[in-house]
Amino acid sequence: MSRLTRLLGGAFAVLVGLFLIAPVAVTVASSLTTTSYVTFPPQGITLRWYAEVFQKPEFLSSFALSALVALAAAAISAVVGLAGGLAIHRYRFPGRGALEAVLSSAFAVPTIVLGIGLLQWFAQMGLASSPFTLLLAHLVLTVPYAVRLVLAGLAGLDRAAEKAAAGLGAAPFMVFWHVTLPAVRGALIGGAFFAFITSFDDLTVALFVVTTDLQTLPVRIFNYMQYDYDPTVTAIGTLMVLFAVVAVVVIERFVGVAKLFGADQDHK
Amino acid sequence: MAAVGRLAGGQVSGGASRPRRRTGLLLALPAIAIFALLFLAPLFTLVANSFRTQTGAFTLDNYARFLGDPFYRDVLWNTLKVAGMTTIGCLLVGYPFALYMRGRSARVRNWLALLLLSPLLISMVIRAYGWLVVLGPNGPVAAVFEAFGLTAPQLLYNDTAVLIGMVHVMLAYMVLPLMGSLDRIDPTLVPAAKGLGAPGWTCFWRITLPLSAPGMLAGAMIVFSLTASSFVTPAILGGPKVKLMPYFVYTQATTTLDWPYAAAIGFVLVVVTTGLLLGYARLLRRGNGDVVFG
Repeated sequence: MSRLTRLLGGAFAVLVGLFLIAPVAVTVASSLTTTSYVTFPPQGITLRWYAEVFQKPEFLSSFALSALVALAAAAISAVVGLAGGLAIHRYRFPGRGALEAVLSSAFAVPTIVLGIGLLQWFAQMGLASSPFTLLLAHLVLTVPYAVRLVLAGLAGLDRAAEKAAAGLGAAPFMVFWHVTLPAVRGALIGGAFFAFITSFDDLTVALFVVTTDLQTLPVRIFNYMQYDYDPTVTAIGTLMVLFAVVAVVVIERFVGVAKLFGADQDHK
Repeated sequence: MAAVGRLAGGQVSGGASRPRRRTGLLLALPAIAIFALLFLAPLFTLVANSFRTQTGAFTLDNYARFLGDPFYRDVLWNTLKVAGMTTIGCLLVGYPFALYMRGRSARVRNWLALLLLSPLLISMVIRAYGWLVVLGPNGPVAAVFEAFGLTAPQLLYNDTAVLIGMVHVMLAYMVLPLMGSLDRIDPTLVPAAKGLGAPGWTCFWRITLPLSAPGMLAGAMIVFSLTASSFVTPAILGGPKVKLMPYFVYTQATTTLDWPYAAAIGFVLVVVTTGLLLGYARLLRRGNGDVVFG
């Protein structure tokens, strides 16, 4: 490769990198502006908009709702994912093929279609909007990932280790606790964190499930944006990005982010 | 992998005895319940409602209305057009980027992959909001235009804005399958062709490009279908002026409150996109999904 092509390649890669980080970088930078409108580059530096966030009770209650639902979604996804992954990997049971088929095709259904389907189904069932219905709706988005990660973890586990433990006299529960569980621990932690950010960031499904009294943080921001253009949103955005960064570091450490986007998905 | 799992299960159980079947079913029950009640049932409701009038009688009107109304035919066409343009945009940006990534060390590649995936990992509202600032009248793009004494073109609330926002988030879906294809090309082919006197461009056109076609195809399929069914990014960056199907599913369901019609538009969307996505999954499986990100 000539020097020129290498230089051009590098310059191109830098441009793509700038393109990829532009919206986040600009959001974070403009959250510091002293102007009452959003501008980049920011004018002066202030933390006023961060203080503003904490003075808006509707944002705080939306944050609490989102965090609560996301925590529940993460915990339930991990448990259901572990049980489901073990069942599919180790057992034959009626409905196994169907479960596998649904798990691998769930990602192919557009999230917006799932949202409107859930809206109409919940209405038919007489289920009114509540944090509980929101949680139910988010589980459909998060459980397939949890199961997939557990299955990947189990595939890497040498069954001989479990047999050896059992052969040496360990009770089935001890084998599970000391041999099986450690093998899927990374998958469970990674899956739980991914479930958390998926639920926490979801807007598409939430828009159909929420009411005006029950707004998750993304829904609140989405509605706020239609009328206000002040830098408060950039401050919230920065805080949410920080949240996501923590989750990504954990996921990267335990499972690897790229693994999540295998044959899959959308929700975007 | 499923076959291996079945084999392993078989070895231990020595044929599925009844208690083992019961244990398996019990373990899978929560997942089965979630998908039966919260995935299959809603989709079934949606399809059933799309064949109903507002009062509940059977009808094909919702589909006839969609396909018969020039306005909605235009919406369908515009959806396919924006999805197609996003796919082409991802190819034009993604192919050179994949080539660049291929020449890097494993460590650098990992970082680049994370960079590509980063838009998918942050809140889509915030991401779209960020683009509003970047492309808006007080943003850096406008500032650059002004620095040259020019007025910035209208970059928001049109197809261009949607295109920029969608290429940004979809790029990873194009580059990662492409990397898989590029990595599978025998590394001795290009040097061999060069040794036989082929110039660099010929090597690219006759070897690299054709051999990476499966990755391009897989990437194009997923980018196209995910873009066609995207709601949040186009809604924020395009607004009501950019007429896309997901936007009308949303407004029919929440503003007009015509649920059967919203269901019908949603179902047309599923037919358009799901076929493509399932085809993509099959392509990946045939090519061994793990290799793609290896």
